Amino acid sequence: MKKLLITMTVNDEQFDLMVRPNETLTETLRERLGLTGVKEGCAEGVCGACAVLMDQHPVRACLTLSMEADGTSITTIEGLASDGKLHHLQESFINHGAVQCGFCTPGMIMVSKALLDEKPSPTDDEIKEALSGNLCRCTGYKKILEAVRSTTQIDPKKGA
Amino acid sequence: MANPDYHLIGKSLPRIDSAPKVSGEALFTGDLNLPRMLVGKILRSPYTHALIKTIDISKAKALKGVHAVITGQDTAGEKWGVFKYTRDQQLLCVDKVRYVGDEVAAVAAVDEETADEALDLISVEYEELPGVFDCFSAIAPGAPVIHDSHPRNINVAVKIEVGDVEEAFKKCSIIREDTFAADEDSYFMMEPYAVVANYRSDGSIEIWMPNASPHTKAKALSNALRIPLTKVIARKITIGGAFGGRSDVFPAEFITCLLSIKSKRPVKVVYTREENSIATRMGHAMTTTIKTGVDKEGRVLARDIVSYLDGGAYSSTGPIATSVPFLCHEQTYRLENVRFHGYRIYTNKPVRGMIRIHGRSFACGIDTQLDMIAQELGIDPITIRLKNARRPGETTATGSYVSSCGLVECIEKTAAKSDFINKFNNKKPFHGIGIGINSVQTGFPLGIRGGSQALIKFHEDGGATVISGVVDNGQGNDNMLVQIAAEELGIPVEEIRLISADTEITPTDAGSYSMISTFGGGNAVKRAAADARRQIFEIASELLEADPEDLVAKDKKIFVRGAPHAGIPMEKIIRKSLLIGRPIMGTGSFSPEVDQRREWVSNPRGQLSQAFSFGATVAEVEVDPETGTVKAHNVTCAQDCGFALNPMVVEGQFQGGVAMGGQGGMLTEAHHWSQGHVLNPTMLEYKIPIIKDMPNIETIIVESIDPVGPYGAKEAGMSIAMSAAQAYANAIGNALGIYFNRFPLTPERIFDAIENRKSGIETAWDLEPARVIEFDK
Ligand code: FES
Ligand code: FES
Repeated sequence: MKKLLITMTVNDEQFDLMVRPNETLTETLRERLGLTGVKEGCAEGVCGACAVLMDQHPVRACLTLSMEADGTSITTIEGLASDGKLHHLQESFINHGAVQCGFCTPGMIMVSKALLDEKPSPTDDEIKEALSGNLCRCTGYKKILEAVRSTTQIDPKKGA
Repeated sequence: MANPDYHLIGKSLPRIDSAPKVSGEALFTGDLNLPRMLVGKILRSPYTHALIKTIDISKAKALKGVHAVITGQDTAGEKWGVFKYTRDQQLLCVDKVRYVGDEVAAVAAVDEETADEALDLISVEYEELPGVFDCFSAIAPGAPVIHDSHPRNINVAVKIEVGDVEEAFKKCSIIREDTFAADEDSYFMMEPYAVVANYRSDGSIEIWMPNASPHTKAKALSNALRIPLTKVIARKITIGGAFGGRSDVFPAEFITCLLSIKSKRPVKVVYTREENSIATRMGHAMTTTIKTGVDKEGRVLARDIVSYLDGGAYSSTGPIATSVPFLCHEQTYRLENVRFHGYRIYTNKPVRGMIRIHGRSFACGIDTQLDMIAQELGIDPITIRLKNARRPGETTATGSYVSSCGLVECIEKTAAKSDFINKFNNKKPFHGIGIGINSVQTGFPLGIRGGSQALIKFHEDGGATVISGVVDNGQGNDNMLVQIAAEELGIPVEEIRLISADTEITPTDAGSYSMISTFGGGNAVKRAAADARRQIFEIASELLEADPEDLVAKDKKIFVRGAPHAGIPMEKIIRKSLLIGRPIMGTGSFSPEVDQRREWVSNPRGQLSQAFSFGATVAEVEVDPETGTVKAHNVTCAQDCGFALNPMVVEGQFQGGVAMGGQGGMLTEAHHWSQGHVLNPTMLEYKIPIIKDMPNIETIIVESIDPVGPYGAKEAGMSIAMSAAQAYANAIGNALGIYFNRFPLTPERIFDAIENRKSGIETAWDLEPARVIEFDK
């Protein structure tokens, strides 16, 4: 299979990569760049464990061809902390007990980050809507909701 | 409840494993990458039941990039089973395949494409045999036999009889017999199964895989591979959920090792989501017929139960799986006269194991029928449960003494908090409320025996390393061990390292199934820490010229009680211990006191487990009669977990239990079939709850302070997962005035029951009952 050259910025670092036309972004990020924080739970776009940000928007890396990422900027869970300090969403997930096995966690955090970047004060319903494509088998979601809600700038009582 | 004597225990500290998980740093098996690592792939049976005539691997072997091809011929027909008497699964099929997915051959190649191509090049000639796909046809005379050693496909038959059941029935004022059934459910842990094996030139092999007991895995692999146990090293790895589905030993582990041995290179096998569903384990389908007799007050005087469990093609944990639904039941309810016949039956379907709400039809049947009896008697669901609920100091039907038990408190608190009686008596149309109660063990014999041991060593800066065989599947065991050690040693959590679940280094542990980790592994670490502290105090008492009895360890200092300012820093004591040649090393071990003579089939009596947890869940739902869909509004759950070592972690377990047991387990989760083929093996069609589905959940922690558990702790969350299923079933029934007996309650089923509503106190559907099987007739 003929490979194609793509250029993408991943976690603020630029890469030139030769990719197969059928190569998924999951494969490229995990296997070539070693970014194994991108998880593969289903490989068919259902679980959200592979969510990364492409130009700030959440995408499912398992459904995205790496060719489509040509010229874009990708952020993975590994790129969230800055200056050795965890992002406040990461802190919040830890402090609220929103992490059990942790397999869903990177995807949950990336999608939450995209939501909060766009809408700093979402209601509970908006948080649930945003996370409805991210499956978690361990937590029952309650502490995940609490973790995201606590980082918003609104009165938690509003908008149940 | 905060206990003033403890500084860390009982506090909602963030888990130690969270930081690496939120940063993406935590490595799961599929994330591992070793130099020269090959990709392994498995060829599976496309047939439900067939003889293997020939296998030709020559073309696959010749393909460039292929480093190993193996078949059953490479294995000497090595078989696996949890017990000696249940070894029935060839780790690579030699002569026969018994379900779609059975392992037939495997390859290791340089990349995935080459491995796939090699699989295509293997040609297998099969002779198809007729199959059986449900319990009733499998036991019918003349049905195809799946294992020649097991006529009528009966894999396990358990019989328990206590008291005089027939006599007791004669004294009953109401007797009912009803039949309940449930389909297969599945774990759908988020991490798909994966194995990495690395054979080394010294004849040792390292292996990584999601597991519930590295020591059990290593032992089984040592036997199957004929490599000394010392050289089979199961390594620590982050695990993405288990829920009972990682307990067993799977052919893939053996196959990956064999591929690595053959190719002399590391090999990684990563399952697809579909393989994870069909070729690890799934839950049993089950039919349970329950005959119950009560007196005028609603006290159960006699019960006779027959269960059929569809076990799939192999035994797996068969004897345990057959017994546990009954054992949970006998712990929950007082039973003086009871009979249980449990049959696990082979079918040509994927292999079944224990799952978080193992035995839905059994538990939900018991509680649904109890509500039916209550209605007949004109009493409410709370009253009838309180009349029959287990109390502390009692003994179960098969002879387990229950020392701590907060079941009554769980029932009363959930009922009060949810305003149960009021809502039950003043029902709004299509709104329903229901309660379920249950109990689980904290550890039971699982073939491998022996408790847990732990070691603690110290660093010259006063920090410590805890070494324990306990594995963490995601529930928080790692944190539990460290939080206990930190409490006992007075060292901050951040200054304690943990080495766990690595069979080369860590001492034996029974595994994190059967809810024993806190009770067993937690106690072992607590004892090891107490042992180390004793040694520390000996040295400190010389330095402080004080009696060791008067010393306290806190904030990395040792001081005389009441005089923290005059304390000695821990590092000073550690250095002193090295200087005087008395280095400090804590050791501790714990084995639960159970009746070692108890056996699942041959002797099901005696102390099963040293402690039991108890839980009650109340669900409030609303049903749309036009569509049959259910909206759960509120769930109130209470569990006697003994003592909550970390309330935040305990609550998380309760909430996860409601999601999997109630919301998913009762509303959507089931596998669908066509002639032994699973129609919904992936997440697209098998519906697990999403965030929008979840009700508001209220959690109530009940603490009975077990006399033996560490700080009184038992286990967290399992009784909730079980009772949530029962609560949902009863709440939906209450909303519609229908007693459901086929689970899960999908919109189609609910709609059907509304359309064909029966009169009187009857179950929704007439199901074929499970009956006692007469042998040799
Ligand atoms: S792995 Fe991409 S959505 Fe599940
Ligand atoms: S924490 Fe395990 S899947 Fe979400």
